[in-house]
Amino acid sequence: MKAKAIKLGWSLVYFVAGMLLLLGMWDMVSRITKGEIPSPIATWGTFKEVMTNPFQNDPDYKGIGTKLLSSLARVGIGFGLGSLIAIPLGFVLGSSRIAMNIINPIVQILRPVSPLAWFPLGLAIFQDSPKASIFMIFICSLWPTLINTSFGASSIPQDHKNVGKAFGFSVWKYITKIMLPYTLPHIFTGLRLSIGVAWMVIVAGEMLSGGIGLGYFVWEEGFNGGSVGKILVAILIIGAVGLLLDRLFTSLQKRFTYAV
Amino acid sequence: MNSATTKTVTQNIADSILEPVLTPSTAIAVNNVTVSFKTLKGTYTAVKEISLTVQKGEIISLIGHSGCGKSTLMGTISGMVKPTTGEVIANGKKVEGPGPDRGIVFQNYSLLPWLTVYRNIYEAVDSALKNLSKCEKKELVEQTLKTVHLWDHKDKLPGHLSGGMKQRVAIARAFAINPTILLLDEPFGALDALTKSNMHVELLKLWNLDNREKTIVMVTHDIEEAIFLSDRVVVMNNGPEATIKEIVPVPLERPRNKKDIVHDPVYMETHDKLLNLLIDKFSIDDIKE
Repeated sequence: MKAKAIKLGWSLVYFVAGMLLLLGMWDMVSRITKGEIPSPIATWGTFKEVMTNPFQNDPDYKGIGTKLLSSLARVGIGFGLGSLIAIPLGFVLGSSRIAMNIINPIVQILRPVSPLAWFPLGLAIFQDSPKASIFMIFICSLWPTLINTSFGASSIPQDHKNVGKAFGFSVWKYITKIMLPYTLPHIFTGLRLSIGVAWMVIVAGEMLSGGIGLGYFVWEEGFNGGSVGKILVAILIIGAVGLLLDRLFTSLQKRFTYAV
Repeated sequence: MNSATTKTVTQNIADSILEPVLTPSTAIAVNNVTVSFKTLKGTYTAVKEISLTVQKGEIISLIGHSGCGKSTLMGTISGMVKPTTGEVIANGKKVEGPGPDRGIVFQNYSLLPWLTVYRNIYEAVDSALKNLSKCEKKELVEQTLKTVHLWDHKDKLPGHLSGGMKQRVAIARAFAINPTILLLDEPFGALDALTKSNMHVELLKLWNLDNREKTIVMVTHDIEEAIFLSDRVVVMNNGPEATIKEIVPVPLERPRNKKDIVHDPVYMETHDKLLNLLIDKFSIDDIKE
């Protein structure tokens, strides 16, 4: 218990040191550019300004919190739909060599495509830019989950399969009691990578789509509004939220990893 | 020769042919079984034209060097391995795949690591004994766990158990579905000598509890284990194309006592015989000039 507290204390010290280093470099850049890039203190002022009434939701002005939530909602829907397809499909690919041989080339061709390339296609299909962003998130969050799930499902040890065979497990029992639990850590790895990609892509997507969202905030209020401070604030918020999402999935992954 | 005698003679011949299959006391009949696998280098025949009959309530061991096909032969009885030619009859029915009449204990426990001891057994019971009600299944699992003294550990995951306990769970799982035939594939190979001895006694206890009605086939490479447990020891030749070298009966009275049995002349004789069958040379040849 004590050792754990000391370890936690040290990691806090390292974290603070890292942050100070970042702020130091940031301040130096600010001085070199003669304030073109606002200093940390100036940015803190902008941050406080941006954070006043963050959940304001008027038709003519949306607070930063509202924008963040709308970005998160789009990521959530696209990512959720993508995972809902990627996980079962991963099971199929992992269990059937034939399915793998047929689907794998398709995955290999589509996977390296930049997610942004899917945006105009989504726009053409849905005639609606928020839906097009969701479509883009959906596509890009398919691949890591699909690949990791199918890898997990294809590497189920013969010992576990034998149990199902020897005791006559039904297909449903095999999926829920052997395949899913064995594959779960792999699935969470895939989901974690997917949510990371999705979060990166949403900002770019919202710059294209406009409307509300963090990406639009960066572009419209930051760049077009001539406030580099707002750009910096948005970058920090995007980074912090991305970190939190990653931590969330890491802890889920740990939670479902079993001792052998 | 009148027609009546002819009929009896024909009947007798028919009986003698059908006997190994039809006699109620026959639990397992392996008939002329060959198992070949296709590999990259061609066809590999693991066991060739093996025939073996096991009586109901009998304990037999399959013994031989590593890779002699004893596990493969066992697999044809359990239904996990399909014979290339020949057939296996278990409880009067041709083996087409695994079934609840044959309980299997695997070499490396094969417990599902994400399920508790209780769930590991429950899921097997739930699948194998479909006509029981949920209540009856739960009762059966509880009773089985108590019999093998694992009730206190029912909520543990296999990862938190010792090797001996894991194997007890695996054996309990096989016993829980109440099979008439129990198939054990090198069940105690990974255990230390002391734990192994205890497990032998526990296995026989379970067998006794059931009035010695279960037929047990066990794969092993341990001579002492084979003698202590079995009625007959089947010694196999080295593969590929392994066959049965000899079947050695173990005429020792039951119940057998682990400590006393080793001094029994019959034990020593059987032990020597098995050792001779398994090991060709006892000494290293002198180096000749």
